[in-house]
Amino acid sequence: MNSEEIIEKLKSAKGDKLKDTEVTLGDAIVHLEPGSLHEVAEFLKSDPDLHFDYLSCISGVDYLDLEREPRFECVYELHSMDKNHSIRLRVGVPEEEPSVPTVKDLWPAAIYPEREIYDMFGLTIEGHDEQKRLLMPEEWEGHPLRRDYDLTREKVAFSHNLDFKEELVKEKVPTRYKPNQV
Amino acid sequence: MSVAEEGLLERNKDTMTLNMGPQHPSTHGVFRVVLEMDGEMVRSSDPDIGYLHTGIEKTGETKLYAHCIPMTDRLDYLNPPGNNLAFCLSVEKLLQTEIPARADYLRVIMCELTRVASHLLWLGTHALDIGAMTVFLYCWRERELILDLNEMISGVRMMTSYVRVGGVMKDATPEWIAGVKHVVDILPEKVDEYESLLTRNPIWMDRTIGAGVMTKEEAIQWSMSGPCLRASGVNFDFRKQRPYSRYQDFKFDVPVLTNGDVYDRYRVRVAEIRQSREIIKQAIENLPEGPYKVEDNKISLPDRDKLKTSMEALIHHFKLVSEGVKVPEGETYVPTEGPRGEVGFYIVSDGSGIPYRMKLRAPSFMAIPGMCAMMRGSYIADVVAIIGSVDIVMGEVDR
Amino acid sequence: MGLIDQAVDALETEIGNLKLNAQDAVEQLDADLSGAVYDTILTTKLGKVIGWAQKNALWPATFGLACCAIEMMAMANSRWDAARFGAEVFRASPRQADLMIVSGRVSQKMAPVLTRIYEQMPEPKWVIAMGACSSCGGIFNNYAIVQGVDRWVPVDVYVPGCPPGPEALIYGVIKLQEKILNNAGSDKARMRAA
Repeated sequence: MNSEEIIEKLKSAKGDKLKDTEVTLGDAIVHLEPGSLHEVAEFLKSDPDLHFDYLSCISGVDYLDLEREPRFECVYELHSMDKNHSIRLRVGVPEEEPSVPTVKDLWPAAIYPEREIYDMFGLTIEGHDEQKRLLMPEEWEGHPLRRDYDLTREKVAFSHNLDFKEELVKEKVPTRYKPNQV
Repeated sequence: MSVAEEGLLERNKDTMTLNMGPQHPSTHGVFRVVLEMDGEMVRSSDPDIGYLHTGIEKTGETKLYAHCIPMTDRLDYLNPPGNNLAFCLSVEKLLQTEIPARADYLRVIMCELTRVASHLLWLGTHALDIGAMTVFLYCWRERELILDLNEMISGVRMMTSYVRVGGVMKDATPEWIAGVKHVVDILPEKVDEYESLLTRNPIWMDRTIGAGVMTKEEAIQWSMSGPCLRASGVNFDFRKQRPYSRYQDFKFDVPVLTNGDVYDRYRVRVAEIRQSREIIKQAIENLPEGPYKVEDNKISLPDRDKLKTSMEALIHHFKLVSEGVKVPEGETYVPTEGPRGEVGFYIVSDGSGIPYRMKLRAPSFMAIPGMCAMMRGSYIADVVAIIGSVDIVMGEVDR
Repeated sequence: MGLIDQAVDALETEIGNLKLNAQDAVEQLDADLSGAVYDTILTTKLGKVIGWAQKNALWPATFGLACCAIEMMAMANSRWDAARFGAEVFRASPRQADLMIVSGRVSQKMAPVLTRIYEQMPEPKWVIAMGACSSCGGIFNNYAIVQGVDRWVPVDVYVPGCPPGPEALIYGVIKLQEKILNNAGSDKARMRAA
C-alpha cells in the first residue's frame, strides 16, 4: 500500500482520534494527541492490511527555539515487514503535562527508546515501570537534549587567553562522582 | 551502584550476581551487563549502557551539515561511509536533489567495501572470543587491504568522511580502481579459507549451534534488524525492499536462514561478505562516467580550479563554507541497510544550514533488549558467544 | 727577536697555567666522586638493567573504549606487529598489566571506572593517552566527554590522531620505552617502584 492508501485506511477507521494527517516527500505522517496514541497504535498493529509489526525507533524533539506549540514531540517510526510500508506518528507533548503512554505492550523493543526519551528530554512515560536514566549517570541532573541545556560549560583555552583559564572554566559540570565513592 | 543494591534486596537469595563490567575483553566495547546466575545458568540479565555517551546528537545541533559528517563517522565507527550515507540521504531527500550515477556507484562501492571490512572484523573478534585466534589474525590481514584503499581515496584509514551531501568527496583514481579489482579477485579464496577453519569445525558447531535462539516472532517484536533478523527467517533487506543509491541496478542475493542461533548468524554474515563482493564487482566493472557530485553549486562545492576564473564559483564556495547548505524546512527519515541492520537519521530542519535535530536510529541500540532476552536460560559461556554474534558497537548505542 | 722571545715566554707560561688548572680540576673531581662512585654507579647500572627489562616487556591492559581501540587491535595484529616491542600480551586483568592505553573517548560515566582500573594496577605503571579524545577531548567539546584523561590519571605519552594509525601508536610506545630507559636508575624511577 502506498502512503496515501495507508492514510485513507487509517482516517476511515480512526479519523476522530487523529489531529492531522499529511503525505510529505512520500512519507505517511500522522499527528496525534498523547491520549489517543495507544489506541491508534494498537489499530495499526492489528489491522491485517496495515500490519505495522515492527517499531523502528522513537525520537524526541524539543521545539523550544522554533517556538512551536506543543513544545515536545515524540516521533514513532513504524515499519511493516511483510507489506513493506512505513508510517510516522508524531505525538505532540505539551510542556505542562510532559507524559506519553507507553507502547511496550505492543512492541517490547520500545523499552529502551522510551527510557532514553525520559533521560534526554524529561518526558515521563506512563506505564513504564523501569523509569530510570539510560545514557547519563544515575545522579545526573538535567535533561541534556533539551534546547535550554548548555552544550558545554567550558570554553576552549588558546594561547591568547591562557592567563584567564580560571575564568573560562565557569563551573565544573556536576557529576556527583568522586572516585572513592563508586 | 545504587541500582544494583536496590535490586539485590528483592532478588532471590539463591542466585549469584555476576557483573560483566564495562572493562571486559569480550564485551566489544564498554558494555556492562549484570547477570543473575543460578549455578552456570543465567536467570536474568540487566544491561547497563551509557559508558560511551558522547552527546553527538546535541553537538550536531550546533554544526553545519558538512561539519556533522565527521561526527557521524564516529557513531558506528566500523561503518563510517554507511553512517555518512544515511545522513546524506536524509538531507538530500529534504533538498529533493538527484545524485549523479557515478556518485551513486562510488557510494555503493565504499559502503560495500566497508560492509566487508566490518564483517571481517566481526568474524575476527567473535572467533577470538570463542577461542579461535588464527581467524582473528587472518581476517584483519584482509581488512588491512580495504583500509589501504580507504587511505588511497580519502587520506584516512578508518573515518573517511567520503560520502558528502550531494555526492562524494573525491573522484576515483586509476590506482584505486585497480586496488578494488584486486580485492574483488582475492576475496573469495580468503573467505573459503575462513570457512574451512570454522564452518564444519566440530568445536565451533558445538559452541554455536543452539545458543542464543531467537524465533521469527521474537526477532520482529524485539526490533532486531540486519543479519540477526535474517538469520531468524525474516526476508527483509532495505537494499532490496526500498532501494536507495541505485542498488536496484545490481544483482545480488539476500541470505536468509531459519534457526536464529549463533551459528546461523555467523553463516548469514559470511554469505553477506560473498554477496557484497558480487555487488562491488558489478559496480566497479560498470562504473559510469560523469560528475562525482551534484552540479548545483548551492549544494556541493565547486571545483577548486574554477575558483580562479569564475566569480559565481567563488561566491558559492564562500556561502557554502560559511553558512552551509540551506535545507528547506521539514523532517524526514530514510532507512538504509548497514552491516548491523537498519541505520537511518531522523533530521528536522528549520531552513538554515544547521540541523535542528539529528537523531540516529542505531541498530545495536534497539538490539540490546533482544540480546538480553536471548541470554536468559543460557549458560555463562554462551553469553560471550551471544554478545559477539549480535555484533553491537557501543559507539552507536550510546551516541 | 726580542718580541718573539717574549711571545714564546708568554705562551709557555699560559700552557703551564692551563696544565696546572686541568690537574687541579681532575683532582677536584676525584675528590668529589671518590666516596660516592661505587654507590651511584652500581645502582645506576642496576637501575638501567631493570629499566631495560621493563621497557621491553610492557603488558598493556585491555582498555579499548571506542574507535581508537580498533587501531590498537590493528597494532597487535600481523601487519604492525606489537609483539616485536614486547607489548603483545594484552592482559584482561589490570592486576597483571603495567601499561594502560586509554584508547577512545572517556565519558562522564566511564571516568570513575577508568580511575578504578588505574588504581588496581600495581606499580610501576604507565599511561598512554591514545588519540585526540583522551588527550584533550578531541572533536567533542561538550557536557558528556571528559576533556582530557589527564584530569583523572597521570599520563606519560600522548599520541595524537583521530584515530592514530598503528604506526603512530607504535611510535608512542617507543617513546615511552625511551622515557623508561632515560629515567631508569634515577630517583624518579625509584619513587615509582616504591
